[in-house]
Parts: sequence; structure tokens; C-alpha cells
Amino acid sequence: MKTIGTANARTPIKLGLLLLLCPILLWLFLLVILPQLTMLNISLQERVAPRIYEYGFSNFIAFFTEPLYWNTFLRTAIMSIIATILTLIIAFPISYYIAKMLRGRAKGLLFVLCLIPFWVSELVRTYGWMILLRESGVISTFLQYIGLVDGPIEFLYTDATIMLGLVYSSMLFMVVPLTSTLDSLDDSYIEAGYDLGGNGFSVFWHIVVPHAKPAIVSGCIVVFMLTLGNYLTPILLGGKSSLWFTEQIFTQFITRFNWQQGSAFGVLLLSISSLIVWLGLKLSRQSFSKVMS
Amino acid sequence: MIPSIPQSKLFKSSFRLYAFIFFTFLMAPLVVVAVFAFNDSLFPSLPWQGFTWGWFFSDAEPKLGLFHDQQLYKSIGTSFLVASFTTILAVSLAVNNAFLFERKTFPGKNILYMLMLLPLVIPGVILGVSILIMSSTIANYFDEVWAIDIEILRPGLALVVVGQFAFITTICTLIVAARLRNFDLSLEEAALNLGATKLQAIRTITIPYLLPAIVGAAVISFFMSFENFNTTLMLVGSDSPLTITLYDRLREGATPVINAVSLLLMLASILLAFANYFLKGKNSSIK
Amino acid sequence: MLNHMEFDLQCTDIVRKFDDFTAVDHVSFAIKKGSFFSILGPSGCGKTTLLRMLAGFDNPTSGEIIIKGKSMNGVAPNKRPVNMVFQHLALFPNMNVSENIAYGLHRQGINKVEIKHRVEQVLARVNLAGSGNKQITQLSGGQKQRIAIARCLVLNPDVLLLDEPLGALDLKLREHMKVELKQLQQEFETTFVYITHDQSEALVMSDQVAVMNHGQFQQVGDPQQLYYQPDNAFVAGFVGDSNKWSASVIDILPDSLKVKTTTGLILSVSKVDNKSLIIGSEVDIFIRPEAVHISQQVTANLQDNHLNIKINNILFDGANSQLLVEEQNSGEEIKVKLPQTAEFMHLQKGDKLQISFPFQQVKTFPKELEVS
Repeated sequence: MKTIGTANARTPIKLGLLLLLCPILLWLFLLVILPQLTMLNISLQERVAPRIYEYGFSNFIAFFTEPLYWNTFLRTAIMSIIATILTLIIAFPISYYIAKMLRGRAKGLLFVLCLIPFWVSELVRTYGWMILLRESGVISTFLQYIGLVDGPIEFLYTDATIMLGLVYSSMLFMVVPLTSTLDSLDDSYIEAGYDLGGNGFSVFWHIVVPHAKPAIVSGCIVVFMLTLGNYLTPILLGGKSSLWFTEQIFTQFITRFNWQQGSAFGVLLLSISSLIVWLGLKLSRQSFSKVMS
Repeated sequence: MIPSIPQSKLFKSSFRLYAFIFFTFLMAPLVVVAVFAFNDSLFPSLPWQGFTWGWFFSDAEPKLGLFHDQQLYKSIGTSFLVASFTTILAVSLAVNNAFLFERKTFPGKNILYMLMLLPLVIPGVILGVSILIMSSTIANYFDEVWAIDIEILRPGLALVVVGQFAFITTICTLIVAARLRNFDLSLEEAALNLGATKLQAIRTITIPYLLPAIVGAAVISFFMSFENFNTTLMLVGSDSPLTITLYDRLREGATPVINAVSLLLMLASILLAFANYFLKGKNSSIK
Repeated sequence: MLNHMEFDLQCTDIVRKFDDFTAVDHVSFAIKKGSFFSILGPSGCGKTTLLRMLAGFDNPTSGEIIIKGKSMNGVAPNKRPVNMVFQHLALFPNMNVSENIAYGLHRQGINKVEIKHRVEQVLARVNLAGSGNKQITQLSGGQKQRIAIARCLVLNPDVLLLDEPLGALDLKLREHMKVELKQLQQEFETTFVYITHDQSEALVMSDQVAVMNHGQFQQVGDPQQLYYQPDNAFVAGFVGDSNKWSASVIDILPDSLKVKTTTGLILSVSKVDNKSLIIGSEVDIFIRPEAVHISQQVTANLQDNHLNIKINNILFDGANSQLLVEEQNSGEEIKVKLPQTAEFMHLQKGDKLQISFPFQQVKTFPKELEVS
């Protein structure tokens, strides 16, 4: 009953497969794999004399010996982890509220409302925060108006601002998987939990959280990845002091024109990003394909 | 916890308060951008200088309106061009990939699927940079060995399209493949049974069925290309798409014309979002 | 060749193997022109594989399918003179009723005027005239069935294949559609090959039924033959409701056998046409609930099986009501049909009665080694 394959029509099937395989293999090799390999190759070249290069690890050694590089990298990773945790903590109650406490139209409406910022360019969203937070911005003016502070306050260009921007731009990738997973939790499980003598906390911890775990994991992985690779938010909200690793990469490539060093940074960022995704999947025993789709 | 279980008023109202704060947080930057598009001031900040349409329609400096700003105009055109090419490429390959992954079995299929998902894990900056390196390496090689300068491999719109095509294809593939997975194969068999050839069956039955997903993927692709910044920044040449132009202006010091552009962008995106939402609603009823 | 004129569909020695699993195992049959032929079997018996081979979606490992005298080996599904009604109908959701019916005609390159005419004609014949512009989702379950059939019949196929199309319908509609399908088949005079796991569908509609199990045809015959003269234990057990017991032969009489069931009940049963049967042979015996006669008075006819029983349970189901009774000595449980007549209205759990049945009604088959 599950068999559709035809036994005696071998050749046309092979040809069809080949035709379908060609484009994806070309795309994958030329646009995804080959560029990464080229980057790896360049990152392993060190300059011994003008226009003369040899293979070596000096670019990677520079990364570990130069405190600025090393610190920027660590700082980016740690802030990404904090941003991921904060996003989870902020998103969970909202997802729960939408999925389990609302009914009918209100539910659909709030869910769509969550999606709207995603449909607005990241640049515009960040720009909005700049208008709100700058020295002459809305919040500063408002605080002066109600008399809470005497002079204008600059909220921009601090780590807290960067964090705010990161959490804001990641919110969607946490709220959507969480809400749809919590929505799939049948109310009767929660009712049964209460019926069997559980209280709010025990039901939450033993029924709701285990059910949402796959979504939590996939949400965290996606948010971490996006935060680590973010460029716009730290630059615009953090200004000169942002010290974000992607900014280092940009500087090496475009400003300093040191492609060898930039490639080494690229390889490092890609490695840590892949490592975290791999670890997250291993720990939660989920498949990559499932999390991504 | 849920409506059927009695809760204290405090519990419910604290949730409501939290939701209110959350959505204020979510909407505040968007609202602010929209509102300041109408501020009759040279800076997108308080104090409020009065309402104006000037940032849209004014034709004189210093408050040059969006519809008279040649540079913005041109960059919107550039973005459209890039998005159109990217969408055509990405959606075509996505349909091809969907048939490959949903209909064919071949050794190494799972590995190929994983590799196909790879662009989602590669940060946009890295993807852009690596394509830049590769194309420059190839271009330099041609330049040195045969003294041919291949313009298309140098930073510019072609490379921007290539860079966006690299990761948008994956997203489009996921959308189209998901719909093809739900396709009832017996529909295609029924077409064969009624005398259609394999290609006729796909053209008359399968493609119409996939159409909502194809259109949806195209909408998403167009939008992602239009709003992409990270990959584009690394590959852009002298013609800059809208996001790059806006970014440059932001760094120079913004005027409310940026708000005006952003407002139009937001309206267009939300329109697209609704179109997409409507399409999704429609195809779920078919199922 | 004379026999080719008479038969629309012939299969000779069809085998279909998947790796080391044989789904269809040396099946041969021929279906008379214009008849309603059913293939009845439990799920996994190979009937769907067989049907898919007839339609051309699968090819036999060996053997030949001949339709109207032409071998179908290597003929693509879209070139075969057969059409199929799919299990879930497979009506094209992106087309309305007319477009669905016209689909096959378009593929044949028939002109638009002719197509329109033929679509209207076939819609009228399935009593859905004027529904051409309706969307598929607007149709009821029964209407969808008729459209799916019309979509095939408009092409005048030599054979119409039906893959359990009634399976998804609710009980009432299914009963109704059985009658309607039979009428449609007679009206169009097309050969129908119908596969199902529902014996009632097969018995009600068919001229001929093939009972299939483990990839093989167990018996081919008209519904009455299958019901009253099953060839083997599988058919006896699968077609209709039966009490089934394992027993061993204790005596061989000229007309009948005496057997003893595993619980010790001794019964007279019909004699099996098998020379190797000796005293002590293991057999399976079958008795239909409706073949058992219930009486409240003690009668003296000792030629038949006569049992004293106690009512364990009354399973009321209108005309299909049954009694679950227990034989007093052995404790063997027996299902008995309970006629809904005044005589038995007052029966209650625990009541004691007599049941009797003639030995001819008890079918006997030598024990088969279970193939699993």
C-alpha cells in the first residue's frame, strides 16, 4: 500500500532525479559551501612579506593574544546568552497568556499583534528605539516633563540599551514557537493536574513546562544564533562602545582590509554558533531539521 | 491557569497588566517612528513643532520630502530590482527542492537536507563576507592570470542578489516543501488514471495546489530581501538598496524623512503581512 | 479467441514481491463483461496492491494482466482503458464539479462543445444535473461519491476500479450508497472491480466475490456460495458471523462426523471432503448464530445437535440481537440469533433453554497451520 515506485521504469526516474539534484547541488556548493571553505582557506594564510602569504595559524593566535579581540568575542557570547535568557523569561508569560488564558478573537488578535514588528525592517525598529532613548528623545523629555529628572538623560550607548534592543528584536522567535506549542497543550491535562490535587506551581512545573520544552529549546537556539550574528542593533544602539564581534569582522574586512584576520574571526564566529546549536540539540535530543522548520 | 479553573482577581489582572506593558514595549518604537514622520522639525525628536505632510511632499531643502528625494527614490528602485531577482531565483529553486525532498529517495538525502538548512545557522554577516571573499578570489585570479576583469564578481547588486539568494532559498524551500508534504498523492494518481501524462498531472493538479505556498514564499522572499541588511552590507557596491541608504543617513544624523520612508515601509510590510495571512487562511480551508 | 470477448479483465498468475514479502501470490481470475466483481479481504491481504497493479500504478513481478484482450504489461497508467475511484475519492480541490468531470476528456483532446455536452449528460445520469458549477467542498459525502464515479464513467472505461470508496462514510449513508452503486453499475453496464474489507458491501453489491488473504484468493464465487458453501476455514470465519471452535474427530459416520471441542462439548457436524481425516484429527468447526434454533419446550428430535443452555447475556441490537448462552455441561459459550418475536420477548439473563441445529449447518475444516 505504501509502494508507488515502478519497477520497470528505471531510466526516466534517474534522469528526473538528476535534473532535480543539479540546481540544489550547484546552489549549495557555489553559494554556501565553497564560500565557507574559501574563508577557512584565507583565514589560515599569514602575511610574511608584502603580497606574499604562507599557511599558518597566526590569525588565530592573534585572536587569543590580543585582549581586545578576545574580550569582544567573550562579551558578545555572554551578552547573547543573557539576551536569550531574558527573552525566554519575558516571552513565556505572554505566550502562556495568549495560548491558554485567552479565547476566540482576542487570542488571534494578540498573536497577530506579536508578529507585526517582525514585518517591519530591523532598521526601522532600531531607529524607533533611538528616537525613544536618545538624549533629546521621547523618554528623556517625558521624564523631564513630569519633573523626575532635571536635565536630559542619554539612554543610548550603554550595554543595557544594547540588551534591550537584542531582546526586542529576538522576541518574535521565542513567542511564536512557545505560543503554538502551549496552544497545542490540551486544557484537560491542566484540569487533570488540578483534579488530582496539584496546585498552580506543581501543574506549571510538571505539566506545562515539560510540554513546552521542545519549543523552549528551539526558541533559545534560534534567538542565540540571531543575537550572536546581529550587527545592526549593537552598532546603532551601542554606538562606538558596542564592541560586538560582527563589528570586528566588518572592521577587519572593510575598514582595515585585513581579510586574513577577518576570515579567522568569521570562522570563529561560525564555529561557536554551530557548536551552541549542536550542543542545544544534543542536550534536548531534537533533530536539526525539526527545530529549523 | 486556564479559564475553567477559578483564579483570584489579582492573578488575572496582573497578567493583563503584564500583557499591556509587553505590547506597549512591542509597539512603542513603531508608533514613535510613525508619529515623528509628521513632526515639522528638522530632527526626529521632541519638542513637537506641529503637524506636517512636508516630509512626504515638500520639494525644497532643507525639508526635502520623500517623494522629491532622488537618492531615496533610486534606492527604493534598487531594492525592488534586487528583491525581484532574488525572489524569482529563490522561489524557482525552492519548488525544485520541494519536489526533490518530498518525492525522491536517494542515498544521502538526509545529509543533503541538513546541508540545505545550513544557511539558517550561518550569521548574515558571515554569509555576506564569505561570498565576498570567494567572488573576489575568483575575480582576482582571472585578473592576474588572464587579465580579464569580471565586473559581476566585484561588490555590487549582482553579488547582493547572490548573497540573499543563498539564504532565502532555504526559507522558501521549507514553505513550499511543507505544503507539498500535505499533498494527497492520490490526486496526482487520479490525474494519471484519467489520462494525463506525468507533466500534465503536475501542471494541472500539483502546481495549482502548491500555488498558495509559492505565492506565500514569494511574499516572504521579497520582504526578506527588501529588508535585509547584514548580508547586503558586505556585498554592496556603489548602488545601494534602501536599507543601506537609510543606514548611511542614520549615521549622518537623521531627519524625519527617514521616518516618512519607514512609515511607508511599515505600511507596505503590514499590507504584505495581511496578504500572506489571507492566503494562509485560504489554503487551510482547502485542506 | 473466444474467451477474450467474454471477459473484460483477465489476470494470469500475478505475483508482486516487495523484497522478501509477497504481497500478491499467484493470483489468477477472469471477470465477465458488465459484472460487479468484489475483492474482499482484511487489511494487508494484498487487495490494494492488486488494484494498483490493475490501474498501472504498480507492476507485477510476474504474471500478466489482460484488459479487453490486450496485455497491459508495460502500459502506463494514463494509457490504460481503466479508471479508478480512489479511497478518498481524490476529487481535485482546485476545480469545480464540471472541471473535475471534464478533466479526462480534456486530456483526450476532445473539443469544448462535446465536453460540455458529455459532462451534462453524465451529471444527469448520476442525478446531479445542474451541479456543474458547485465547488467540491459544497458537496455532501454521497454527492462526492457520485461525482468521483461520474468523472470516471464519462470516459467509458472498460473497467472501473473502486478502492473502498465507501469507507469514509457514516453508516446510514453507506447503506444507501451500496444500493446506489449497484444501480449505477447496472445502468452503465460497466465492469466494476470493487475492493473492500467490509463483507456486507461485497455481498450486497457483487455478482462475484473473491475472498483474499495472505496475497492469495481463498475462494471466488457468488455471494450465496461464499456464505453457504465456504471452501475453507478462512472464508467461513471471514464471511458472515460464526461461532468457531477447535475440535477433534471422535467418530466417522456415513453422513456426518462426531467431534469433541476443547471444552468437551460433543457435536455432530458435516462431513468434510478430505480423505486424510481420521479419528483424532484436529478440525475447525463453524456454526452461524442464525442457524441455531431456540426452543423453550423440550423436543425429542435426537438426530440433530441438542443442547441445554443458560442465557449469559442478551445483546440487544434490534433485528441483529443475539443471545450469549452457555452450554450446561461443558461451559462452552455460543452466540445465538435472537428473533424479535413475541415468543422470546420475555427472555432474561439466567433463563434456561434448549437450542438445536442440524449437523449439516456445522461446517468442518481440517485444522490449518497458521501462516503468519
